[in-house]
Amino acid sequence: MSLSPDDDLNAAEFALGTLDDGERASVAARRLREPELDAAIIDWEWRFAPLSETIPPVAPPRDFLREIQARIAAGAQNGERSGNVVDLTRRLRRWRVAAIAASAVAAALIVGIGLRESTRVAIPHEFVAVLQKSADSPAFVITVNLDTRDLTVRPVAAPPQPGKAYELWIINDKLGAPRSLGVIDSANLTANPNLGKFDPAVVQNSLYAVTVEAPGGSPTGAPTSAPVFVGKLFPTGK
Amino acid sequence: MTSAASESDPAQLLLQVAAGDRAAFAALYKQTSAKLYGVVARILPRSDLAGEVLQEAYVRIWQKAGDFDPTKGSPMAWMATIARNRALDEARRAKPLALADMQESFEPAAEESDPLGSRERSEQLAALMRCLSQLDAEKRQIVLLAYYRGASREALSKRFERPVPTIKTWLHRSLAQLKDCLST
Repeated sequence: MSLSPDDDLNAAEFALGTLDDGERASVAARRLREPELDAAIIDWEWRFAPLSETIPPVAPPRDFLREIQARIAAGAQNGERSGNVVDLTRRLRRWRVAAIAASAVAAALIVGIGLRESTRVAIPHEFVAVLQKSADSPAFVITVNLDTRDLTVRPVAAPPQPGKAYELWIINDKLGAPRSLGVIDSANLTANPNLGKFDPAVVQNSLYAVTVEAPGGSPTGAPTSAPVFVGKLFPTGK
Repeated sequence: MTSAASESDPAQLLLQVAAGDRAAFAALYKQTSAKLYGVVARILPRSDLAGEVLQEAYVRIWQKAGDFDPTKGSPMAWMATIARNRALDEARRAKPLALADMQESFEPAAEESDPLGSRERSEQLAALMRCLSQLDAEKRQIVLLAYYRGASREALSKRFERPVPTIKTWLHRSLAQLKDCLST
C-alpha cells in the first residue's frame, strides 16, 4: 500500500468526521479518483464502526418508511437503481467500455501532441477534464481555454436531477475551501463560467467537482454534499 | 402483519435487499430504524434534520446493499456508518446551528464516556475498546466525542479549550496509535 502517512491520517479524520469543510470536500472529491485513499477511508470507517453498538436506539419521530419508498421509486425512474442487479452489472460494463474508450482517446491525444510538437516547445492552451463518479462512469466533459479562461461544461451521461441542481466547484488547496463555479443549467446540462479571477496555475492544477444541490445552487456557498462527479484537466494540444 | 422476512436477521435481509426485495427492505427498516435514528440524532439534535438524514441513509442502504461485505463487520455497523456519514455531511452543512446546539448538549452520555460499560459487545468492539483505553483520558474523550457527536476540530477546540492545531496534533497521534494497536 503506497498511501502516504499524511493521507492515511486524512482518511482517518475523514472517517471520524473531524476535518473542516474545505478539507472534507477536498478529500471527498479525491477519493473518487484515488482508490487507495478511498480504501483507506473505508478501512477507517470499519475501525470506528463497532462503537455504533454502544449507541442506544431512539424511536424516530414518525414512521418514515413510506417516504423512503417513495424516494427510492423516484430514484429508480431516474435510473439510479433499477432493483435489478443484472441491469446494474450491464450498465457498469457499458461504462467501463466507455471509460476505456475515453482513456484511449486521451492517450491518443497525448501521444499526438508528443509527435507533432516534439520539434518545438508546445504551450497547451486548451485543457479538457472528464468528470466521472468512478473510473467507469464519465458524466460531464469540461473544456478550459487557458488564454480566455473560459470554461465549458457539456453532458456525457449525467442523469437529470428533477427538483435539484448540479453545481460545479473548483477545488485546490491554494484556494482553501471549494469555490463555486456556478450552477449547471438544468435543461441542457451545460454551463460557461469564466475563470478570470483564478491564477492560470490554479486553473490548470485543480480538481473540478460536481455536487447535487438545491435548485439555484448551494444556499451556504459551500458544497452541501459529497461530489458526485470529479475530474482533473489534461492538455488537448490546441 | 408478520411476514417471514421480518423474522430474518439483518445480514439475510440485506442480501435480499441487494436483490431488490422490497418486503425485506421494509422489514429491515422496522428492525433497524430506531438504532440508526439513535446514531443520527446524537450528531443532529434537530429532529427535522435527523429525520431527513435517516430517510437519505435508507435510500443509500437500498442502493448500496450489494456492497456490504460481511467479512468486514456486522450489517448493523455497516448501516450505522452510512447513517453517520450522512449525518456528518448535514452537520457540516448546517454548521452554525449544529455548533450552537452542541454547546447546550455537549455533556457526553454515560456510554460515551464509558463505552466499556455496555454489556453486549462484539469482538471488534472489545478490541477497539482495549486500544481506546490505552489513550490518555482527554485524547480518548476527543475521539469519542468526534465519533458520537460528530464534533469538528473547531468544536473540540472550544470544548477542551485548546487551539485547533493542538486538537489536530492530538487527533493524529491518537489515530496513529489506535491503528497500530488494532493491527496487533
